[in-house]
Amino acid sequence: MIFGGSGDLAQRKLIPALYNLALQRLLPATFSIVGTARKPLSHEEYREELHKAVAQYSRTRPLNEEVWRSFAEHLHFVTTSDDAGYEELRRTLEQLDFALGTHANRLFYLATPPPAYKAIVEAIGEHRLRGDTGWARIVVEKPFGHDRASALELNEIVHTVFREDEVFRIDHYLGKETVQNILVMRFSNGIFEPIWNRQYVDHVQITVAETIGVGERAGYYEQAGAMRDIVQNHLLQLLALVSMEPPAAFDDKAVRDEKVKVMRALRRIAGEDLSMNAVRGQYTRGFIEGTPVPGYREEPGVATDSRTDTYVALKLWVDNWRWEGIPFYVRTGKRLPKQSTEIAIQFRAAPHQLFSRDALAGLEPNALVLRIQPDEGISLRFGAKVPVQGIRIRAVNMDFDYGASFMVDAPDAYETLILDALRGDATLFTRHDEVDQQWAFVDPIIKGWASSDSAEGPALYEAGTWGPTEADALIERDGRKWRKA
Amino acid sequence: MAEGVAIDTTFWGTRQGGVAALERELTRLRRAQSAHARELGRPIARASVLNLIVYADREEHARRAARSIADLALRHPSRAIVVLADRSARDGTEKRIEMHCRLPIADGARLVCYEQILVRARGDADDRLASAVIPLLVPDLPVFLWWTGTPPLGSRSFGDLLRLTDRLVVDSADFARPELTLPVIARISDEARGRFGLTDLNWTRLTPWREIATAFFDVPAWRLFLDGVTGVSVGFAVDMDGRDIHPSQALLFVGWLASRLGWRPLEALAPSEAGGLLFAIARPDGARIMVRVRPRFERGLDEGDVSGIRIKATAARQLAEFAVKRQPDPRHQTATVLLDGERRWERTMPLPSPAIVELIGEELSILGSDRTYEAALGALVELA
Repeated sequence: MIFGGSGDLAQRKLIPALYNLALQRLLPATFSIVGTARKPLSHEEYREELHKAVAQYSRTRPLNEEVWRSFAEHLHFVTTSDDAGYEELRRTLEQLDFALGTHANRLFYLATPPPAYKAIVEAIGEHRLRGDTGWARIVVEKPFGHDRASALELNEIVHTVFREDEVFRIDHYLGKETVQNILVMRFSNGIFEPIWNRQYVDHVQITVAETIGVGERAGYYEQAGAMRDIVQNHLLQLLALVSMEPPAAFDDKAVRDEKVKVMRALRRIAGEDLSMNAVRGQYTRGFIEGTPVPGYREEPGVATDSRTDTYVALKLWVDNWRWEGIPFYVRTGKRLPKQSTEIAIQFRAAPHQLFSRDALAGLEPNALVLRIQPDEGISLRFGAKVPVQGIRIRAVNMDFDYGASFMVDAPDAYETLILDALRGDATLFTRHDEVDQQWAFVDPIIKGWASSDSAEGPALYEAGTWGPTEADALIERDGRKWRKA
Repeated sequence: MAEGVAIDTTFWGTRQGGVAALERELTRLRRAQSAHARELGRPIARASVLNLIVYADREEHARRAARSIADLALRHPSRAIVVLADRSARDGTEKRIEMHCRLPIADGARLVCYEQILVRARGDADDRLASAVIPLLVPDLPVFLWWTGTPPLGSRSFGDLLRLTDRLVVDSADFARPELTLPVIARISDEARGRFGLTDLNWTRLTPWREIATAFFDVPAWRLFLDGVTGVSVGFAVDMDGRDIHPSQALLFVGWLASRLGWRPLEALAPSEAGGLLFAIARPDGARIMVRVRPRFERGLDEGDVSGIRIKATAARQLAEFAVKRQPDPRHQTATVLLDGERRWERTMPLPSPAIVELIGEELSILGSDRTYEAALGALVELA
């Protein structure tokens, strides 16, 4: 059941993911998809529309027409513009159960804009769409609420129909292979965990850089900004995975317990700390890959005096035994010069240097970099002797490249997550207390920025550069610098 | 509309539609190479130790640089981004990629790859050039910028690219008017302090001359003469008609002596009637030293290369002459010491190959700045 079944998310991500799962024979034999939306569409029109979408957005191309044909037979569409529509939806689901003998196992997917969530969940309850015999689960897209209070409220609404263990809050970053690999790398290897603490780590940098601008999402983005769009979810998730303690087991409860624990240890930034530890920026016109692009305030749908943040840099502290005194520098932005998501663990320098200053000119501290995208992989930087007479030291990278080591394309995040939701494995989904902690951290910063005291608004940066100079100052104050991502 | 020079896709690779497409193509090529190598039972490494940006405004310069990098790839596997700013054409920037793979060892035990990317800027793309180069840099690796020709101080693209750079490589042998451009390089060198290193390939070519000149005065009996230099003469190569005069290398040698020995300028550089330069310079004790920089035609030498040096000095009422001459076979240098006209010492030694690949290779192994060069440059600027 996909609500918002002909929307952007369904066309670009969900249906292509489901089709690819079918292609890999990972979907149950008796499986059907019902899309709903407010606009009227016939089954045939719906299939035609999705055929085009999959042909354009699937990660495997060209389309396998044979598989598509049989996949499309199980695609249905119901218009739900009023109560009668929901009643028809219920009948359709019952007919499918009867025809396929599926025991009414149902996965609901909220792929609509957030304002519609409430009405849909209520309708699911009212029209008894859960069914009576099988399991029912609901996948809720991010953002889950727009602050702590609204997240709590949305949670209460969802809980009127679904138990917490039936709610799958999606953050598609967690479905990415390399994000899951953070846990594998940390906890399946013996050599990393012993140095993963304040004794050996100097600081940690997390970067989520996008080259795209706000595009057609101005309506949403004007309200959200980078803080709600990226920091509250993706960035804090990456931070949690890299800083959490080893979980007792690899299951949904143990992993999420640890993430919540580390989120609790995250020091709140508020009041006077704000200006020293947080920088917000907004892009002006500039160039991306040599092409001129407009400034944020010139984008369609954006207010000409908008104060929305398109860039955020923060200095964070995780106040616990492991990370006491170790800063985490995180940054995210739109219209940065390069699309890149990565986590860099920067280690302390050697305690005593044997070599002369000239010899060391090319040496940089050891760093372990986890590249999430693009070019998924891991690299370790260390100093090596340059092959000349005498000692000259140069930083070199030892690279593990996912694509070159495992010569297969990683599955799309949505394939992983949809499959997990069908299996009932919630490890890679966000639990309510996690969302609550994320908002508890983000809210005071947003409030601080909105308050009349900080009248200056976001610092401006030219599109195609690495953010405002204030962000450089944030890290350079501590004698460190942002990595060349 | 002018389309500019057509790009030879067999040399530069096919045209890609943006950075993401270009990276995908590189990944595909790497995989293909890797699969091929596995069939042959050879491991393959994607080795990169540096990012090398080459800026050229003529296709032939870009091509020549690309060939040098190909030879360099074995010693310095890199991602090479060749920026061709073709001002004769208009509109946008486009990228072409090519990935080369060579067998460094005869038995073919290993393959080393490097990645060559062409960023061609058509028209006046000064303001947007860097935005096309930044996303192509491999994260974390040092960035070298090799600027062919005289760097245009104050131009935006030069400034933008310099901001990304750990080491700027120039070749003052390419400078048409050294008396004008060497001060420019000195200004860049001033700005560079602490931010990036500066290399002049012409300086690297001087290394064997500096070594041999230093060796003379390692001998305790001859060291006295250092304080009693009376004349210096440096010859540099010109072609048969003597049209192209490139005295930068010879001047750098003089600048180096002046900065090491504390010589002060007495008069500005003045052209002599023979096409070279003749001027006086003051020793720390105030005595005059005549400096002559003279063009000579010599077969088998690149224009501007130093062909010989001669230092005259007096001490303890003895007249000494220290001379180094390049032998007709340009691979050798002969050093001679005359005391009161009498030959006391002579030695012939091999002169290292001055191929640009070797020069760059040597420089790419250094990240720090070269204070001796900066001082030599400083002394020259005072003279100019």
